[in-house]
Amino acid sequence: MTAEAQQMIEHIVRLIRKPGLTIDENTPLVSAGLIDSMALVDLLLKLEELTHMRIPPGKVQPKNMDTVALMLATAQRVGKPRK
Amino acid sequence: MTCNVTTGRVTRYRNLIDALGAAPGDRPFVTAWIDEDERETVTFAEFRHRARLQAKVLLDHGVTGGDRVIIIMPQSISAMTTFAGAMMLGAVPAFLAYPNFKVEASKYRSGLAGVTANLRAKVVVIDEEFPDDMLGHVSLSEETRLLRASESRGPSGEEELPDLENPAECLAFIQHSAGTTGLQKGVALTHAAVLRQIEHLADALKIEGAADCVYSWLPLYHDMGLIACFMLPMVCHVPVVLQSPLEWVMHPETMLQIITECKCTLAWMPNFAFQFVPRRTPANRWAQYDLSSARALINCSEPVRSSSMQEFQNAFSAIGLRSGVLQSSYAMAENVFAVTQSDINRASGPARIWADGQTFRSGHLIVPVAEGTPSAVSFTSSGQLLPGNEIRIASDAGVLLAPGHVGEILVKSDSLFTGYYNRPDLTAKTIVEGWYHTGDLGFTQDGELYVIGRKKDLLIVGGENLYPQDIEEIVASHAAIHDGRVIAMGVYNPDLGTEDIVVVAEVEREELLANSTGIEREIHNLVVAGIGVAVRTIFLKPPKWIVKSTAGKAARSATREKLLQEHPELNVESLNLES
Repeated sequence: MTAEAQQMIEHIVRLIRKPGLTIDENTPLVSAGLIDSMALVDLLLKLEELTHMRIPPGKVQPKNMDTVALMLATAQRVGKPRK
Repeated sequence: MTCNVTTGRVTRYRNLIDALGAAPGDRPFVTAWIDEDERETVTFAEFRHRARLQAKVLLDHGVTGGDRVIIIMPQSISAMTTFAGAMMLGAVPAFLAYPNFKVEASKYRSGLAGVTANLRAKVVVIDEEFPDDMLGHVSLSEETRLLRASESRGPSGEEELPDLENPAECLAFIQHSAGTTGLQKGVALTHAAVLRQIEHLADALKIEGAADCVYSWLPLYHDMGLIACFMLPMVCHVPVVLQSPLEWVMHPETMLQIITECKCTLAWMPNFAFQFVPRRTPANRWAQYDLSSARALINCSEPVRSSSMQEFQNAFSAIGLRSGVLQSSYAMAENVFAVTQSDINRASGPARIWADGQTFRSGHLIVPVAEGTPSAVSFTSSGQLLPGNEIRIASDAGVLLAPGHVGEILVKSDSLFTGYYNRPDLTAKTIVEGWYHTGDLGFTQDGELYVIGRKKDLLIVGGENLYPQDIEEIVASHAAIHDGRVIAMGVYNPDLGTEDIVVVAEVEREELLANSTGIEREIHNLVVAGIGVAVRTIFLKPPKWIVKSTAGKAARSATREKLLQEHPELNVESLNLES
């Protein structure tokens, strides 16, 4: 697992605040109701910070953010290097 | 009321498309600002050409005068040219909110199904990326065609279109009233009404097509985005720089960047944006920007909060924001847009008054007092009536009230809507003898309109009239509470036969909840000191608990529902109220 994935997982665990919950890169989050759509703005900003990319929000749909692996793949696919 | 449709600089046009046709072809019209290094600009001539291509495609799909055309596309030049293209045929376009990752899917789907069924459109235009799981919720009758924007690219060249026959009194488009999803009642507007509104607004703001430039992140399905930032620039030939609402919410600093780079002169914003931008832009980057080009940034919220305006002014005075640039307006989709506009020549900005708090709450009466008087309440004006607009202030019993008395604001104007599309039931309830009942409470004083809040949000506690926004502002002033993340509401108390005030507020950091008893006590004291009444219960919640609307604003009714679900003890009382 990459350092970015690890940091993203830690961030999400803090965000969800469910005692004893463990997630990995492939745990469904949005579709499983663990995070709601409003939290996705926060996750997208975190993803920008971790990947040093700028991610156009218009190119992101909830299904692209369902797992940590998908989030990182989305950043690679639509992200642009920060100036 | 006079409707002079022949002599005004705007109302001389027969319709909105004539106004677009008269624009100088080489002047830039829309710049779509995608991000720091991607943007696209079209001139008025290019915009007209692209709109004609869209019109031809719609014509080929059987669209003719009067047909509804629903456009569900991301904020873009294509969405705007499709809208104008539909109007070129005399058809009636309507923008609906595009689904995005922030909008709750189930709510969006039900809104979409309801609105598309009500409009009975000939064509629904969506883009290539429109999610398939939402498509099933677009109500497609036998006569309705679904058009992907990719199919709607026609051949190049000048297209022959049928000439519009005197359509000034025909419907121009349908705009939807604001809401969490943007999918609500369809407000039907004629070309003549829209032109008259723009005439009045352009005069009040002294709009100059060759000198002005509008900045907007506002959604096109909302009146601020559609009228102030698309129709007004189109009719007055003003360039507009547009970004997506989502991009702005994520990166509010881009507003400063765009105004600086594009030298924008005008923008409209809801109240919360005046706090959101300075708070979300690191102060050490403010100096990179220059707001000296701005001549009017207009707060269109009800109510206008002077504290929010002051925060923006204090933050950005050092980077060229002149005093008197921050202005206010009272606007609604049902009146096309603005009813009032503050005087842009007034260097101190919108008028403010201070009134005795006790008389205001118990008698709904404004007794002016000096600034700084203990327990005084302050109000910021939404401006003066535009020409062609009249208002009345009425009591619950329908009695007309004199200046200084608080009541419901009724509006009559030469730009008033003709009704909610296909909803005569709703129309009859809201337009009575030509007066539109806004559901907003306010008062007039010295020729200025002061808007206080929504009538339905008013809390009546022990005979005192309280406004949730006033309580929320006090609670949010506590250092432990997150800015803007407070909702105050009334919950019926069957023992007392009156409403109790319940407050839910997010703390800045979760650790602060360890000291919730202390914080709650301090908030109780603040509210009592500020407005003299006690809050029954304060619910402190971790960050991100309060439900937000698309634009990042706390959503009152959705938060209430969530609170009632989590706290069944409140729910029981609500049920008692209904039974």
